[in-house]
Amino acid sequence: MILWRAGMRNVLRHPWLTVLAVLGVALGVAVVTAVDHANEAAQRAFRLAAETVAGRATHQVVGGPTGLSEDLYRRVRVELHLRGAAPVVSGHLQLSGRTFQLIGIDPFAEPPLRSFSSRFADRGVVTELLTRPGSVLMLQESADELRLKRGATFAADSAGVGRRLVLAGFLEPPDQVSRVALASVLVCDIATAQELLGFVGRLSRIDLILPEGEEGARALRELRAVLPPGADIVPAGAKAGALDQMTRAFRLNLRALSLLALVVGMFLIYNTMTFSVVRRRRLIGMLRALGVSRREVFAMICAEALLIGIAGTVAGLAAGALLGSELTRLVTRTINDLYFVMEVRRVPLLPAALWKGALLGVAATLAATLPAALEATGAPPRAVLSRSQVETRSRRLLPLASCCGALLIAAGCGLFLTDRGGIAGGFIGLFAVIVGYTLLVPAAVMLLSALLRPLLELLLGSLGRMAARGVVVSLSRTGVATAALVVAVSAGIGVGIMVGGFRLTVQNWLTNWLQADVYVTSADHGGGRYRPPLDPALVRRLSALQGEAQVTLSRRVRIEGAAGGVEVFSVQVPERTFLRYPFKEGDPARAWSSFRGGAAVLVSEPYSYRHHLHPGDSVILRTSRGALSFPVAGVIYDYGSDAGIVIMSRAGYVQNFADESVDGMSFTARPGLPVARLLELVRARGGGEQVTVVSNAQLRQATFEVFDRTFAITGVLRMLTMLVAFVGILSALMAMQVERARELAVLRAVGLTPGQVWGVVCGETVLIGLIAGLLSLPLGIAEALVLIYVVNLRSFGWTMQLAIAPSQLVEALVLSVSAAFLAGIYPSLRIARTSPALALKEED
Amino acid sequence: MAAPIVELKGIGKSFHEGDRERVVFRDASLSIDPGSWVFLFGRSGSGKSTLLNLVSGIDLPDQGEVRVDGADLSRLSERERTLFRRNHIGFVFQFYNLIPTLTVEENVLLPLELAGTLNPAGRQRAAELLDAVGLADRGRAFPDRLSGGEQQRVAVARALVHAPKLVLADEPTGNLDAQTGRQVLDLFQRLLRPAGTTLVLVTHSGEVASLADRVLSIKDGVLVNAAGVSGAGT
Amino acid sequence: MRRFLVVTAAVACVALLLWYFWSGRRHSDRARQETFSVAQALGGAAAPGFSRAENPRHFFFPADHGPHAGFRNEWWYFTGNLRTADGRRFGYQLTFFKTLLTPVAVARESAWATNQVYMAHFAVTDVAGKRYRFAERFSRAALGLAGAGGDPLSLRLEDWTVRQSSPRPWGVRLTAAEPDFAVDFDLVSVKPEILNGEGGLSRKGATPGNASYYYSIPRMATSGTIRIGKERFAVSGISWLDREWSTSALEQNQVGWDWFALQFDDGRDLMFYQLRRRDGGSDPFSGGTLVAADGRSRNLTRDEVQLEVVSWWQSPASGVRYPSLWRLRIPSQGLYLEVVPRLAGQELLTGFRYWEGAVAVRGLNGSPGGSGYLEMTGYSAATAANREPPGR
Repeated sequence: MILWRAGMRNVLRHPWLTVLAVLGVALGVAVVTAVDHANEAAQRAFRLAAETVAGRATHQVVGGPTGLSEDLYRRVRVELHLRGAAPVVSGHLQLSGRTFQLIGIDPFAEPPLRSFSSRFADRGVVTELLTRPGSVLMLQESADELRLKRGATFAADSAGVGRRLVLAGFLEPPDQVSRVALASVLVCDIATAQELLGFVGRLSRIDLILPEGEEGARALRELRAVLPPGADIVPAGAKAGALDQMTRAFRLNLRALSLLALVVGMFLIYNTMTFSVVRRRRLIGMLRALGVSRREVFAMICAEALLIGIAGTVAGLAAGALLGSELTRLVTRTINDLYFVMEVRRVPLLPAALWKGALLGVAATLAATLPAALEATGAPPRAVLSRSQVETRSRRLLPLASCCGALLIAAGCGLFLTDRGGIAGGFIGLFAVIVGYTLLVPAAVMLLSALLRPLLELLLGSLGRMAARGVVVSLSRTGVATAALVVAVSAGIGVGIMVGGFRLTVQNWLTNWLQADVYVTSADHGGGRYRPPLDPALVRRLSALQGEAQVTLSRRVRIEGAAGGVEVFSVQVPERTFLRYPFKEGDPARAWSSFRGGAAVLVSEPYSYRHHLHPGDSVILRTSRGALSFPVAGVIYDYGSDAGIVIMSRAGYVQNFADESVDGMSFTARPGLPVARLLELVRARGGGEQVTVVSNAQLRQATFEVFDRTFAITGVLRMLTMLVAFVGILSALMAMQVERARELAVLRAVGLTPGQVWGVVCGETVLIGLIAGLLSLPLGIAEALVLIYVVNLRSFGWTMQLAIAPSQLVEALVLSVSAAFLAGIYPSLRIARTSPALALKEED
Repeated sequence: MAAPIVELKGIGKSFHEGDRERVVFRDASLSIDPGSWVFLFGRSGSGKSTLLNLVSGIDLPDQGEVRVDGADLSRLSERERTLFRRNHIGFVFQFYNLIPTLTVEENVLLPLELAGTLNPAGRQRAAELLDAVGLADRGRAFPDRLSGGEQQRVAVARALVHAPKLVLADEPTGNLDAQTGRQVLDLFQRLLRPAGTTLVLVTHSGEVASLADRVLSIKDGVLVNAAGVSGAGT
Repeated sequence: MRRFLVVTAAVACVALLLWYFWSGRRHSDRARQETFSVAQALGGAAAPGFSRAENPRHFFFPADHGPHAGFRNEWWYFTGNLRTADGRRFGYQLTFFKTLLTPVAVARESAWATNQVYMAHFAVTDVAGKRYRFAERFSRAALGLAGAGGDPLSLRLEDWTVRQSSPRPWGVRLTAAEPDFAVDFDLVSVKPEILNGEGGLSRKGATPGNASYYYSIPRMATSGTIRIGKERFAVSGISWLDREWSTSALEQNQVGWDWFALQFDDGRDLMFYQLRRRDGGSDPFSGGTLVAADGRSRNLTRDEVQLEVVSWWQSPASGVRYPSLWRLRIPSQGLYLEVVPRLAGQELLTGFRYWEGAVAVRGLNGSPGGSGYLEMTGYSAATAANREPPGR
């Protein structure tokens, strides 16, 4: 295979270019794989945990905020003779800084349901589990990590209360899947769970295995007849489904960002391959003259691309695996902050993510190569020998490309106008706009380099003119390189502006929302949205501060239901505070009269968006008195939950949910009382580690910590995309300059000093960088607009303000110019080092 | 005599250069007998290389018929022409056109591989040719380590390795000094004549004309016998 | 009494069962893999702190029908042979086992917390239909899911219940239902409580305290309904109640036992258990009680009773071989009997696997015939083969 040897040696002869191309593919693949893995891992970990814990249950009986009465279980099992029923008490415990799910079960009711606590080392384990308070089981691996031996006692934290636990034995899951799912699970007897979680007399849920068909339907009917009003029966899959629902938009956003990185990577590959073909135009001509057929040339180029693609993909998968675990951590943290508590540990890299990444990497490489390969083989052998023809042709295509670009942009905008497309439509539109814009880039490059030519001329004299012309002359190269850079840099700008705008919005909202001076919540370090109730005695003690401060009580709960859950936030606020709520729809003064008594509720903006609710409509909630309908009195801005919340007055909550507990208190100091003094007063009465007392400023800061954490992953992806772009521009420009080696050698021979050559080269690359930077500004801003007004609105229902920080724009310019500048260094150094004679002699 | 190995009938060919149309051939005809050497003289841009492109099937005439070894090239597909070329024609270029990423030996072997005859006999022949052009010891070198004359000698070996009936040479000495050029032509003389290989050689140097059986030039788009050059015949 | 050992073993086994239970393996697998002997499983001495049956005691009825605190195991064992008016025969077993996990309960907040666990076995033999059905349940004694009350007696494991229906003559009502079989019976004592062993103290081995308190009511007139699938049968017949509580275990050299509870047509009843030793012989602590028609009883020692296995049956489900025809002779009482299972396959493939089923008694040499229940434990495929009489 002499012919193939020629191709392979070609790759090896330009290691830098090859490495950059491989790097481009690798980065693209790595980002996509990592995001895919992170998304899937989080989802799978939750699913697995939910499924393993749910076992073979077909249905679950769930209750209101306070769970179910344990007597319901006896009725179900004994009186209704439903033997496929098992009680569960579950909650979270903190152990050495890790959050574990504590699952309390009745071993005697378990066998038909669950297999995860399959084997016990001996009967002593069972005895201990049942009879020794605080005894739990965990995986041997978890115990090893925590350095616990069987029989060891250790401290854990439940809702801020310290507990002593005993490691009675180890969970022995039947298979690897369960092992993964149980990594952060503690199993104990139901009595133990009730005691540890402060849930004595109550159950979290009852798992059921109901037969299919008529028998199951009858059982369901009988069951419903005995259910108390606050309880409901939901299909067992509902919880895992709820995760999909809740985090779908979030995951879609991540995936879109990762695809953006791949798109930029594809530009890079396209550029590399096109360049590699162009550079060998002569060689291909020779081969064709010697009788190498088109097909063989085509195969050769594709094989080369495949090689690069495979190398890049392999490297990308390896990097993706590493990156993936880090991203998984970030994704998990975000999900924990925004949605629910979940721990993802030791998730092996998923084959699906690997395959997807591999396929995408190789396919993208080949797809990006196709135009170049076709171009090289499409032309007749003679024409291949001439290069100017390509430039002529690509310039002829310019108007067509520009037209297509304009049309694509128009189509994308059209998608934004119709609400039909949903989130996916938003992203498709966004991609259409981006691709359309890139098609306009070559024309813009010509225009801008013509405009910038006088400037360069002024700075560098005739050399500057040469650089500017060089950019235009090699448009087929520079156009693509610039487009790639534009896409990447604009993505950075767009995402940056969006996050900045979001942050500002949240800041403004917090000002309205957090009006009190001091806040008290139960000290739960689990980080979940829902906090365990405060000790009623404490609430009474603190309420006694009424004279010194305005006291409000609140409670945030999740009401599970067959159609997913809903978050109900109940609060007892004075009218003055209420009127300052950030209303989007509805009149605060009018809303107050119906809200205060609990007759009407407020909904948050995302809830209103998702459920198409507006003042005058009503919400149905499953209360302890059965399903009741509440009119919506207003819609308020809220950025705490993208699923949306329903806000009810405390009076209404207590009445409708039979739950007197409080999980949050806030205090507004009376005029004249310093906040510091109020803090002291509250702390003095609060006492102990069971509660967290924070000031307004601290809470605000904590909120922003969460916010920044949430967007950490976005920031990482943005960085990665920029990195891909950086490598892209570097390789594209470097390749371009290497290609010009002969021309530059001539310049050297003619008498340009190495410094001057350097000036020409860097002048040209910097010009491209500058042009790309400038072109990316409008696209970046456009992307920000789309992200804010289309994608985020459709994903989360949040209205955000647009805030463009000039620093972000400058940053983008600096990035692109510096990448371009760097790209010029290597070729100019090379030229400077080589003797012109040698370069001239080189045929290649 | 046997049927002509190259036969052009009423060839027309023109190029677009910007808005202008340049006519290279207008009803040109030519017939070359097997084994004869035809040299084509002319100024730069007169269409000499175009003629070679037409004969090799790299390019097609706008009108007329090109027959090589009995095959009507204009009726063949692009792929068939490529296969025809690789099997029947040897090419020598002014700029040597060796594949830079292949060694000297590999360059010579490439046509055999393309023709699917890369067997021990072929390798033997390649070795003999390299020996004949005096580069037997440079087989493992890459072209850029060779002087121009050496490169062109490799190119000659490459053009002959698959024993083509027809060799096309595009100013093979144009890039070489007189002495080196002569060495190359000596090679042609030594290697082509005994095998009876037909040679079509494009040149602008009158010195070499003495070697030709027939000398042509292009005038106003037509091939004519060049006057004043010795050795011309029909 | 012997069966009481059996039961002891079974009850002590609760935790072991759980372990198996939880393993989620199917019955057949479990049966096949159960290669340990009962003695091995229960070999360990009970934790200190449990009460033990060390001295004879006074029994008070009906109070002693109820549960006794402090002992590790206690059970209520109802078995009986019944027939419909047109002679279709059924057998049934409804057994409640109580196990204390620890000697003393710890006071805890949760109502679920307890140191008492109940297990129950329920089986019905449909002789004409040649079907044997059984079920097993476990529950903690909490929240009304399971438990026992004393005077009047009430036993519950979910919806399987036993409740005292009359104090004198003492009667109970049994109800238990599974999807494809159920019973609902009224039982009334025909004979008084019979104290087995030394006035109710039944020794199971040489180790002091390795004994149980053991009494029986050998005859309880029974009537009620049996449901098989969707079909209901009105039946009547005789039941046998065995009651035992202890903190004992099998001795090291004991591998299992065979327990007979037979009711003869002439009004006499026989209880006899044979403790089998590892070497194949019967343990000297084997023994029994013969109850006359008028309710007077006399103890039987091992030497008075000759037991011989005539033929064997191998369980297709577990591969274990059980005796399928016994010859029982008590020359001093002039009893020459053959004991034949009414159905060969009456094996409980529960966590603790054993054979317990209705038997017919054939009188030889003028001895009376009758019916009864037979329990056989500690057999394994290997044991059966080893003990197979030569020449068969």
